[in-house]
Amino acid sequence: MHIPDGYLSARVWGATGAISAPAVVFLARRAQAKFDHHRVPLMGVMGAFVFAAQMINFPAGNGTSSHLVGAALLACLLGPAAASIVMTAILATQALLFQDGGLLALGANIFNMAIAGVFAGYLPFLLLKGSRAGLFLAGFCSLMTAAVLALAELWISGVAMPPAMLTISLAWFLISALIEGALTMAVAAALERIQPGCLKRPASGRRAWLVAGLVAVVLASCGWLIASERPDGLQSVALRAGIADRVTSLFAAPFGDYQASFVSNPALSRTLAGLAGLAVIYVLCIAISRALASGKREGA
Amino acid sequence: MRHARLELWSRGDTFAHRRHPAAKIAVALVFLICIATLKPGDWLVGACYFAVLCLLTLAARLPLRRILLAAAVVLPFATIFALFSLLAGAPERGLAIMGRAWLSALATILLMATTSQPDLLAGLESARAPRFLIQVMQFLYRYLLVLIQEGAAMRDAAASRAGKSPMLEFRRAAGAAGVLFARSWTRANAIHQAMTARGFTGHIPRFHTLTFTAPDLYLFTAVALPVIALRLLAR
Repeated sequence: MHIPDGYLSARVWGATGAISAPAVVFLARRAQAKFDHHRVPLMGVMGAFVFAAQMINFPAGNGTSSHLVGAALLACLLGPAAASIVMTAILATQALLFQDGGLLALGANIFNMAIAGVFAGYLPFLLLKGSRAGLFLAGFCSLMTAAVLALAELWISGVAMPPAMLTISLAWFLISALIEGALTMAVAAALERIQPGCLKRPASGRRAWLVAGLVAVVLASCGWLIASERPDGLQSVALRAGIADRVTSLFAAPFGDYQASFVSNPALSRTLAGLAGLAVIYVLCIAISRALASGKREGA
Repeated sequence: MRHARLELWSRGDTFAHRRHPAAKIAVALVFLICIATLKPGDWLVGACYFAVLCLLTLAARLPLRRILLAAAVVLPFATIFALFSLLAGAPERGLAIMGRAWLSALATILLMATTSQPDLLAGLESARAPRFLIQVMQFLYRYLLVLIQEGAAMRDAAASRAGKSPMLEFRRAAGAAGVLFARSWTRANAIHQAMTARGFTGHIPRFHTLTFTAPDLYLFTAVALPVIALRLLAR
C-alpha cells in the first residue's frame, strides 16, 4: 500500500502533499498539546512497537500469513492526533530507510494511511464507544480507506490497471481489511487483559469535529475520483463507474445516497467535487486558526 | 539489515558527507521532482540523471554497484505495473514507471548514504518541519532495532514451543502483540525517567552545531541547476 516514487502524476502528489503538510503541522500541535514533551519517548517507542508488531505473523488461512498494519490500533490507544503523528513518523522512516514508499509520494502515503486511515479507524471506535464491534470496524475501515485511496490515486495518475486487476486488488484489500479488523480486535483484547484501561475510551464532545473531518476526507477522495478528466473516454467511464460503485459500497452508511447519485449525474458530480474542495479548504482554515490560537496560548 | 548498511555508508567523511543536510535534502528534492515529471520518451534526460547520480555516488566514495542494487528493491513492484502497461498497449509508460522508480530510489538512497540520521533530522528541523514529529522519529529510530529483535525473539519462542492449531496460533500471535505492547509501554516509561534524570526538556542537544556555509551553496548550485536545466531541455 506504500506508493513508491515514479507512479503518481504531479497533480496527485502535489495535491496530496499540499493537504498532508499543513495537516501534519496541525496534528503535531494537537498531539503536543495533549501529550506534553515528556511523552515524546512514548510516541517514538509506540512507532517502533508497530514496526516490531509487523514481525509477528498471524495465520490467515490456507497456510498464508498476514501482519498487523496498526493505524487503527494506534488511534484507539493514543487518540487520533497522536496516532497520526506516529504513523507519519513510521511512513517517513520507511520511505527513508527501507525504500518502502517514495519521498515525493510521502504526501500521498501520509494522507492515505496516517490521516484518512487513522481517522477512518477512529470514527467507528468512537461511535461504537470502544466495543468489540467498534474495534473490528476500526481496523476494517482504516485499511479499506487507505487502500481505496491509494488505488484511486494511482488510477488518477494514469497508471495502467486492467479492470480484472482492479477487481482482484480490491478483493485482496477486502480480505486484508477483514483480517486487520480481527487483528485489531484480538490485540486490543489481549491488551485489556494485560493492562486494563489502556484503550483511549472516547470522550464525547469531539464527535462533531471528527465527523466533519472524516466527511471532508471522504468527499475529497471521491471528488478526485470524479473530477479527474481522463483522455480515453468510454473505457475510463466504465472503469470510473466500476470504482465508484465499489467505493460507494465500501464507505457505506451516511454518505451512501450522495455517492450513488453522483455516479450517474455529471453535473452533480462537479458540484460535489467543488464541495469537496471547499470542505478541504474549510478544514485547513480551522486547522490554521486553531494552530494560531494554541500558539497564542503557549505564548501567553 | 538494510538500514544498518545505510548507517555505515552515512559515516563517511567526504565533501558530500560534510555538507549541510538542508542543502542535500534540497538537492534530493530537486532530483525527485525533475525525475517524477519526466515523460515517456525523455530517455536521454533520464540517462543523464543516472550518470549524474552515479558520479555523485563515486564522488562520495560509496560502493556504486551495491548502491545500484539497493535502489533496485523498487523494481519488482514496478515490473508488475510495467506488465499491465504492456498489456494495455503502452509499453513506454511501463518502462517510464520502472525508470522513474529506480532513479528516485537512487536519489533517496544517495541522500541517506551521505547524511547520518541525526544530521538528517536536524536538517529537516532547520527546514521548519514540526519539532515534535522529528523527535518522535528520533525515538522511533533509536528503539526500532531493539523492539524488532524482541518481536523476532517472541516469534521464534512461539514457533518452537506453542501449539499448532490455527485458532491457537492466532490467539498466541495476538497475545504476543499485546505483550510486546505492554513491554514497549514499560520501556517508554523507563526511557522517560532516564531522560528526566538527564534534564530532558523536550529538546535533544547536538554536539556540533550545523551552519549553512558557502560550500553548501556550491553543492546545491553545482548539482541542482544542471538537473533543472536538463529537465527544461526535455520539454
